Amino acid sequence: MIKKIYLIGNPNVGKSVVFSRITGVQVISSNYPGTTVEIAKGYLRLDEQKVEVLDLPGTYSLDPSSGAEEVAVSLLRELPKEDIAVINIVDSTNLERNLLLTLQLIEEGFPVIVCMNMCDDASHRGIHIDIGRLEELLKAPVISTCAVTGAGIKLLIQRVKEARPSLRNKLTHQELWLEIGKIVEQSQRLEHRHHNFREILEDASVRPVTGLLMASGVIYAAFKFVRFIGEGIISHITDPIFLNFYQPVLENLTSHWQEKGFWYHLLIGDLIDGKIDFKQSLGVLTTAPYIEFGMVLPYVVSFYFILSLLEDIGYLPRLAILLDNLLHRLGLHGYAVIPVLLGFGCNVPGILSTRVLESKRERFIAATIISIGVPCVPLQAMIFGLLGKFGGFYVGGVYLVLFSLIIILGIILNRTLSGYSPEFLLEIPPYRFPPLFMLWKKLYFRIKGFLIEALPVVLLGVLFINILLYYKLFDFVTGIFAPVVHGLFGLPKEAVVALSIGFLRKDVAVGMLMPLNLSANQLFISATLLAISFPCIATFVVLAKELGFKGMIKATSLMLFISIIIGSLLHFTILR
Amino acid sequence: MKKISLLQAGENEKIKILEILGGSNLERRLMSMGVYKGKEVVKLSHIGLRGPVVIKSGRSILALGHGVAAKIIVER
Repeated sequence: MIKKIYLIGNPNVGKSVVFSRITGVQVISSNYPGTTVEIAKGYLRLDEQKVEVLDLPGTYSLDPSSGAEEVAVSLLRELPKEDIAVINIVDSTNLERNLLLTLQLIEEGFPVIVCMNMCDDASHRGIHIDIGRLEELLKAPVISTCAVTGAGIKLLIQRVKEARPSLRNKLTHQELWLEIGKIVEQSQRLEHRHHNFREILEDASVRPVTGLLMASGVIYAAFKFVRFIGEGIISHITDPIFLNFYQPVLENLTSHWQEKGFWYHLLIGDLIDGKIDFKQSLGVLTTAPYIEFGMVLPYVVSFYFILSLLEDIGYLPRLAILLDNLLHRLGLHGYAVIPVLLGFGCNVPGILSTRVLESKRERFIAATIISIGVPCVPLQAMIFGLLGKFGGFYVGGVYLVLFSLIIILGIILNRTLSGYSPEFLLEIPPYRFPPLFMLWKKLYFRIKGFLIEALPVVLLGVLFINILLYYKLFDFVTGIFAPVVHGLFGLPKEAVVALSIGFLRKDVAVGMLMPLNLSANQLFISATLLAISFPCIATFVVLAKELGFKGMIKATSLMLFISIIIGSLLHFTILR
Repeated sequence: MKKISLLQAGENEKIKILEILGGSNLERRLMSMGVYKGKEVVKLSHIGLRGPVVIKSGRSILALGHGVAAKIIVER
């Protein structure tokens, strides 16, 4: 009787896609090793019985070498072997490397069923695998699947029950590789192929000169596209909806409202020149939805579209090779580029994915750098929206300050923290072009996640702020921090409210700055400060979870210290 | 037949792995990724200024940090 089914396999063989297919639970999958850092759980109906299915992080062997691998292997050993079934997912385009784990699983007596995934990609590359022969050689059921399109998944589910332990002698690693060589020779046939365009690109992107050229091109194009798509959605979709449709409706509904009291203040906010101004009114029904849907959401869509595209093609690990050198000086290695890039979307998944890094020291450096120096999309969108009108100079300035800060902070942390930075060791996946619907699915999943998390906080946040403002309860806090904000940072004392709201959500915080009529320089300083200072609550929680209480306190004190230094530095250099 | 470190091998050179220095942990990790004594690999590139070395082993492409590459002794 099977009580649990485990999905296990080498990194980046498509475990998460198979998982989504058999359980219907949507999880993020990308074309780089280490996408899954949390264990996803789902259920599968087997003979009228619900069986739990676990998607484990990728591992090359049963003797783990990183934190995520350790988790995978220890979970696998949790239940007695007769109560589980193990689906070993294998990348058909790289049979040889995958079989080590397969043989180890069989050797240890796990009931294994082998799922030869990405079979379509294999045949494109001229790789033909004799499934029947492989079954005989492994003495375990083997099923050929293509999880992206769903081919073979039904058969896989039907045959899960056939997973049985089979006998195999224990071999040393060296002997295992010899054995694997024999198995591959007997079951795989390679068609001779000339280099195609994809392979030429794959090759060019890992060589120094062509690689750097490609990287600069890709980064530049990515940035341009994010701006282009984001601005396009704002000026062609969201702004027309808000200004031509929502605003008249709202004004009609509230024009009969004679007494502009407490509720009016909460819901609509202040009128600017007798009209609702979505950027300045600060009401729950005016500015709050405008910030989320009219300013932030378009950029969330465009950012995740481009990021997902790069992820699925498999470009990011190649970027890691080129940046290894630089990141080494910050006490990290090339692979840290993945958490940092995810952090640009939202710091929370960025910090979670620092789990792909091996040591505690690396993870502390990466998480601290992300929470201090990497602005999330909502914040960036608001910075574009606010500073954009003063010209690219100011927007670029914010990025320049943050970038220098990351470098300096990294170098200092690397020099002062005890320990060493481990070496880079990463498998580079081939370029893949998954069907577009996979990309849409992932984009939809990420946007839904964003809305579920952001919307309630934004609406309740603005409501809460408005109540505090109405009863003038902020005056107390403003009074305490005014000397710092005014004296050190050169900002009006009302900015205290905005800066402290940063703790709730960064986009709302920048929104609070809009009605203050700050000068370009003041806006520049406060936007930079918001990026550096306190992460939002959600980030705070993962920081504590990932780094422990002590680590979180360390990161936070650093953050406060740096905010004060940078704030005053900018103030005295550009405002004076 | 000459013993050199992986760093010294040329681009696109086919080499055979003789030894992996630097402890059993590294050896085990490389082993599980298919890089072990006696395996023939091709060095694809070396990103300058102490950057990583990229090799092709079987059908896998692997990026090895500069320090790791220095510890892999190969035969040309």
